[in-house]
Amino acid sequence: MTSVPATGASSDRVEDARESRDHRGSWIPTGSMITSRIMELRKRRGLMAALIVVNIGIPTIFLTVRLIAHAVAPTSYGPAGGYDVFTELVAGIMYVFGFIVAATLGCTAGSVDLSEGMFRHLVITGRSRLALYFARIPAGLAIIVPMVAAGFTIVCAVCVFAAPTKLVFDGINVPAGLSQTGLVNWAAHHPKEVDCGFGYNGPGGVPCFINQHGKIVIPPGTPGFTQVSTTKLRAQAVVIATQDYADYSRTFLYPSTSLMVKTGLWIELEAVIGFIVGLGLASLMGQRTVAVVLMIVLEIILTPIFSRTAIPHLINAQRGIVGLAMAHLEPGGLPQAFGGGGGNAAAQLVPESTTIAVCVIVAWLVGWTALGAWRMARRDA
Amino acid sequence: MTAAMLDDPSRVNSPDSPWAVETHGLTKRFADNVAVNGVELLVPRGCAFGYLGPNGAGKTTLIRVLLGLTHADAGTMSLLGISVPRHRDLALARVGAIVDEPRFHGHLTGRQNLQILAAARERAARGRIDVSLERVGMAQRADDRVSKYSMGMRQRLGVAACLLGDPQLLILDEPMNGLDPAGMHEMRDMIQSLVAEGRTVMLSSHLLDEVERTCDAVAIVDNGKVIRQGPIAELLAGASVEVHVVCASPERAGALLAGTALGAHVEVEASGLSIHLPAGTGRDAIAEINRLLVEDGIAVYRLEEIQVSLESWFLQVTSRLGESS
Repeated sequence: MTSVPATGASSDRVEDARESRDHRGSWIPTGSMITSRIMELRKRRGLMAALIVVNIGIPTIFLTVRLIAHAVAPTSYGPAGGYDVFTELVAGIMYVFGFIVAATLGCTAGSVDLSEGMFRHLVITGRSRLALYFARIPAGLAIIVPMVAAGFTIVCAVCVFAAPTKLVFDGINVPAGLSQTGLVNWAAHHPKEVDCGFGYNGPGGVPCFINQHGKIVIPPGTPGFTQVSTTKLRAQAVVIATQDYADYSRTFLYPSTSLMVKTGLWIELEAVIGFIVGLGLASLMGQRTVAVVLMIVLEIILTPIFSRTAIPHLINAQRGIVGLAMAHLEPGGLPQAFGGGGGNAAAQLVPESTTIAVCVIVAWLVGWTALGAWRMARRDA
Repeated sequence: MTAAMLDDPSRVNSPDSPWAVETHGLTKRFADNVAVNGVELLVPRGCAFGYLGPNGAGKTTLIRVLLGLTHADAGTMSLLGISVPRHRDLALARVGAIVDEPRFHGHLTGRQNLQILAAARERAARGRIDVSLERVGMAQRADDRVSKYSMGMRQRLGVAACLLGDPQLLILDEPMNGLDPAGMHEMRDMIQSLVAEGRTVMLSSHLLDEVERTCDAVAIVDNGKVIRQGPIAELLAGASVEVHVVCASPERAGALLAGTALGAHVEVEASGLSIHLPAGTGRDAIAEINRLLVEDGIAVYRLEEIQVSLESWFLQVTSRLGESS
């Protein structure tokens, strides 16, 4: 072959590249790669709308409606906030749906470069494929973590500042924050409410009814009770209050600061898991839709099933499900997620130690990140 | 040649190499299909180089292997004198490329897409975004979403993306696709201006006429192998010479010329003769044809040497291959 002579007009920039030290072969992403990735995700209007609606919109609308209803008709509608509203919103909506939208964001971040043809352009820059993958992690977390925090902060604020002024226990207004002695003393002075309102599981209960004048009456023909003395009513109220103190002590006007902090960290961790696993799964599969479906199946079908059914021969496999590990780490004071956690280890069908739960979660995070990164590095662009 | 050679650390980088692209025994297989079959390719620096071949010949696969988009099974290769894939980060730092149809994030503007690509390059690349957009004539539409772009506009944006790295080597896969005639003209001018700046442009195309106008040298690939490569003028000089003669008594003229020592392949037509002379035949042979006909009393009305185009030469070369196989 006869060569066409090079013009030599262009300076040799290979040496420049060598000296530029932009660490193009490094697996560590640069700050500008991360910010540009945040921009790319943030500009996806549909996805961002879904994230905002689930993490912020639904709790906000729910609480706003309750605030308005209570303001308009306080006797018909209870206060908007409070401990019960907090636990139901957090454990019921924000936990499960937060995971799903975080997983959707992860699946999007893990697959769109490939499906939209940008991956090829990015590889041609010479940048390490691992750096291209790892740039997505802080970028995605920079979106999902503040969003979950914003939604959770709104919930906390409403639940604290619009909490009931009186504690309602078993339908009875009771002073909040009493010690056991305090509750017993209060019960002795309110025997009618305690005897007829508090739950009781034991012998010698007072089968009372309240007549139209608000007086306790003994139904005719009730064996053992022909007359109810005040002394007997008070004694019975003390017994009932003593028995119910454990439940009473877990009932609050509003969530404590400690519970809010623990719960916030817990749902943030759940969102992080959803994002990281979604990212890895979508990178591995190279597409978004199937990965999102699999993540939803994991969260709302497989995890509840395996948390409610203990299979002796598969008990260790069940322990390996990240949802069960997360349920184990659930802060005490929240309703038990998937039958576990809630600080009540005895209630778990699939018992595991906290160490194992933490190891399972770390393994999921590291494992899916490694799988996604490996596929990204090996994939044809 | 083994796959291990691809990462042979003993292959020292030579940035002073005269070749912008150099491959030896490069092979890529997809199951039983050998898409790139022991390719030996030398692309000189500072020229526009055409990479031609029929559909399925392995053009795009070779480009993908060169750029590290897929892995080679055997052989060695270097870009700008730097062996790849071992030092692909260094090599690709000064390479820009479009492979297949250029696609971008449709929900972002052209400028935002370039920002993402610039972020993956060196810091200075961000400062080249506006210049690149201006150069490809996309400055006015840079802030429109890519989903609203035509194919030709995406093609231009792809070229702008190539320019972000201030490349010494541009590899363009079918860069004329989707461009209107004016766009093709602009693209041709831009390629030539890039070459004039000392850059190397390697382009694959089906538009042989465009390649002939744009490129200094070409390689022809067929069935995964490079079968010819070199400067276009030299390659065409090696093609057979075609002479068209308008004369009286074409059949008698044909019989006369077929019996000479010129080695001509004569086709008799209604108005005259179409004569194919062997490659390398000088112009004297054309004068000899005229002399033979006139001396035999055959009136010659017109005698014309047909200039061989790259397209006809390409068809000759590839059809010859077809016959031999």
